[in-house]
Amino acid sequence: MGELVAFECSTATDVVCKPPTVNELFELPTVFTIGDFEVTRQILYFFLAVLVVWAILYFGLRKASAVPGKFQLIVEELVGFVRDGIARDIIGPEGAKYLPYLLSIFLFILVGNFFEITPFVNYPITSRMAIPAMLAVLTYVIFVFVGFRKNGFHYLTGIVWPKSVPLALRPVVGLIEFFSIFLIRPLTLAVRLFANLVAGHVMLSLLLVTGFTYLLVEPFEFTFNPLWGILWFLLGIAIFLFEMVVAFLQAYIFTLLSAVYIDSSLHPEH
Amino acid sequence: MLEGDISGPLALIGYGLAAIGPGVGIGILAGNAVQAMARQPEAAGMVRTTMFLGIAFTEALALIGFVLFFIAGG
Repeated sequence: MGELVAFECSTATDVVCKPPTVNELFELPTVFTIGDFEVTRQILYFFLAVLVVWAILYFGLRKASAVPGKFQLIVEELVGFVRDGIARDIIGPEGAKYLPYLLSIFLFILVGNFFEITPFVNYPITSRMAIPAMLAVLTYVIFVFVGFRKNGFHYLTGIVWPKSVPLALRPVVGLIEFFSIFLIRPLTLAVRLFANLVAGHVMLSLLLVTGFTYLLVEPFEFTFNPLWGILWFLLGIAIFLFEMVVAFLQAYIFTLLSAVYIDSSLHPEH
Repeated sequence: MLEGDISGPLALIGYGLAAIGPGVGIGILAGNAVQAMARQPEAAGMVRTTMFLGIAFTEALALIGFVLFFIAGG
């Protein structure tokens, strides 16, 4: 096994280097420090994502013309997708009020997810729990606030004491509804995004690094052969394409669910 | 080579078990959605949105298993 890890570790000992844990894929080194605040690559990527979202919207719609150029067309398509496909379809006519929020999180998550497969970045910022959790907390605050403002205190009583359910079942259904709305909803919203991006990043890293390592191997019989590297690389590229779909789908699902939760606060009867 | 004790966190098995139910559920859901889209192609857009919603809710159990894996296996 010595050949496989020869370019990093000493082959003098018969112990093959301990493979790194998953954490090493997600904890990047500090770039510089400001006071006690350690700035890592993730934080720089975070600001880069904000900048990219801003640039997409600014340069896409700066000189909006009736006959859109290519870039303006793409941006308009994205905005229209969120406005018609998510805000208007799910929330209804009132959805326009929530479009700025939905569009912001959609574009931010989309850019953050696409960092996973962007060359030289290769790190999805949404794979650190802090960012999905914060976005989920934002959605949580908005839908709870909207629910209380629209329905007053009936929002809470309607959940824990649902009138449409037979009397004997009301406490049970109310309890389940209470936990599912105030606990499970924000938790799953955050974890869904986080888990998908973690899984994708680990998969890509494993396949591509294994492929790269095998390509450097000196041919030795059948098992240590650079040919295996090509196989791993092909598999990695297949997953690479798959991750593009995942990146878009997860941004879509996060925004869609945010809209559904806001809608369920606006119209709690169905 | 295959002799010896099996070691590793039990949480791994727990996550595997937690993934069975949502796996079956999403399979049924997507299958029925395809059937609905094939029977009524004009309703495909609505069916697709509802399918994603259903998948998102069905996934919740697997996601809770995933979190517990990190908490218990951490």
